[in-house]
Amino acid sequence: MKKQFVIPAIVVLLALVLASGNAYLINLCVVAAMTTLPAVGLSLLMGYTGQISLGHAAFVGLGAYASALLCKSLGLNPWLAIPLATALSAVAAWCIGWLVFRLRGHHLAMATLAFGIIIHVAMVEWRGLTGGQDGLADVPSLQVLGFDLRSDAAMFCIAWAACLLAIVLAGNLVRSPFGFAMRTVAENEAVAGSIGIASASLKRKVMAMGGAYAGFGGALYAHWLGYISPGPFDVGYSVRLLLIVALGGFSGLWSVVFGVFFVVITSEALKPFGRFDVVIYGVLLVFVMVRCPQGLLAGLHQLFDRLSGGARRRAGSDA
Amino acid sequence: MTEFLQYLASGLVVGCIYGLVAVGFTAVYNVTGIVNFSQGDMSMLGALGAVGLIGLGLPMPVALLVSVLVVGLLGIAVERIAIRPAGSDVLRGIIITIGIGVALQGIAVIVWGTDAQPLPAFSGETPIDMGGVTVPPQALWVLGCAAALMLALYVFYTKTYIGKAFRACAMNPKAAGLMGIPNTAMRAIGFFLSSLVGAIAGVIVAPVALMQYDTGVFLGIKGFVACIIGGFGNPIGAALGGLVLGSLESLSTGYLSSGFKNAIAFVVLLGFLFLRPGGILGEMDTVKR
Repeated sequence: MKKQFVIPAIVVLLALVLASGNAYLINLCVVAAMTTLPAVGLSLLMGYTGQISLGHAAFVGLGAYASALLCKSLGLNPWLAIPLATALSAVAAWCIGWLVFRLRGHHLAMATLAFGIIIHVAMVEWRGLTGGQDGLADVPSLQVLGFDLRSDAAMFCIAWAACLLAIVLAGNLVRSPFGFAMRTVAENEAVAGSIGIASASLKRKVMAMGGAYAGFGGALYAHWLGYISPGPFDVGYSVRLLLIVALGGFSGLWSVVFGVFFVVITSEALKPFGRFDVVIYGVLLVFVMVRCPQGLLAGLHQLFDRLSGGARRRAGSDA
Repeated sequence: MTEFLQYLASGLVVGCIYGLVAVGFTAVYNVTGIVNFSQGDMSMLGALGAVGLIGLGLPMPVALLVSVLVVGLLGIAVERIAIRPAGSDVLRGIIITIGIGVALQGIAVIVWGTDAQPLPAFSGETPIDMGGVTVPPQALWVLGCAAALMLALYVFYTKTYIGKAFRACAMNPKAAGLMGIPNTAMRAIGFFLSSLVGAIAGVIVAPVALMQYDTGVFLGIKGFVACIIGGFGNPIGAALGGLVLGSLESLSTGYLSSGFKNAIAFVVLLGFLFLRPGGILGEMDTVKR
């Protein structure tokens, strides 16, 4: 599919979903949108800059809690609280990046995992602020001229508009000189340094961007659901984001959308079977990394090519 | 003073477990260059497997032995199916082992549910009084088993032919290969040893610390921290790091607050990573690579 048709195709598909009026489908798509935002940020960090983060769910949680608390305790309007929460998440990510990007490889992975767990533990333990396991209820919803935007259909439009905008912006970034610098750092840091790229500061900036994307997704989620608890922001969610990015082949912003829908639909399809989804996620992650490191789509494409190529060759030798 | 000794005793018991998990990390890391993020889940699986086998009516020693051996063999299978075809890329290795860990946890949830599973203590529950310090009998089992296992590993690494070949492979796989040491077999041994030691750690600690499907994640992280404290890739450092971490944790729980227990490991981890990434015994150059 040509690149310029991707956005219209997705918009048409989404419009069809909205027009169908199927409440279940619309709800599913809102969930997908809320997952797409942090996943795009993670793709910038992992796919384009080559840095692993196993604590990405924490930034989603940070955004959600920050926005909810700003509204509930300070009485801010959600329209103001969401950008503030996004900024806070970005700053937190920048600070954590300042600490962890001295490390590489396994050590970086373990340090980000540790930060993710620390933030999750704080959400559970800091009862005075976060409400502990019970979470925060009655988070005010977004409103326009007195209209409540909590309904799935309204959130569907907002969230997907935000998603598409976020992906287009990320795409612009990747094609900019900064994006080339990101990819150079991913390929070889020594080379990046030799041509004057300050890789440490670049990694922190990308991390802050990833934090902003995640925080924004989390804040939208809080105002949509009206209730948040620490549960959804645990390590399991970080792993799911990792799986989404891996399914999309790490670098490829539109394939992130594919990864999101694949994971959301799989988990819905597996719901009747209890907790099998976790096993499937794990096995999928291993399978994709071993068999198609370019992503599931690219893997299937290659397989198709090989099969059809083989068939053609056979046909040729017969003739 | 008695209070201090009491905390120290329980810290050392937990520290033995961390040390064993950490030794498991080094066994895989040294020959494959991969940090096995599913290391802790092997301990969890060993313990829950033993619980399950006892539930099936097997006598306890048999159940423990079978469970531990099966988990060891599972390690070989993991290496063959998932690790070997993926090459030596660090990022892929991390993600693959995370995937394995997640899959194992999922299986544990399906088989045993999310509740903690009790494993009976090996020799009763009557606490033993040792000069004012009381310890459960299982603590002695943990200390004894850990010490015996460490000794056995030390003898294996330094005195046996296979152990020497294993270490040669860890130092320089190419040169070892040229000397006729089969690299793949050594990798399999590495994974077998690490899973076996991890499972033994899980089994001996299960009676004092309840095991459930997600305990492995924390055990794995603590084991990793122990590795960092001791110097990554160094088995003796790993064991030492485990004891240090266990004591620190127990003392801070006793004197500060139990809420800090999990935080202390992370603080220690971050402190070491940023200030002395080579650990106490040092391995600076391999860390920054």
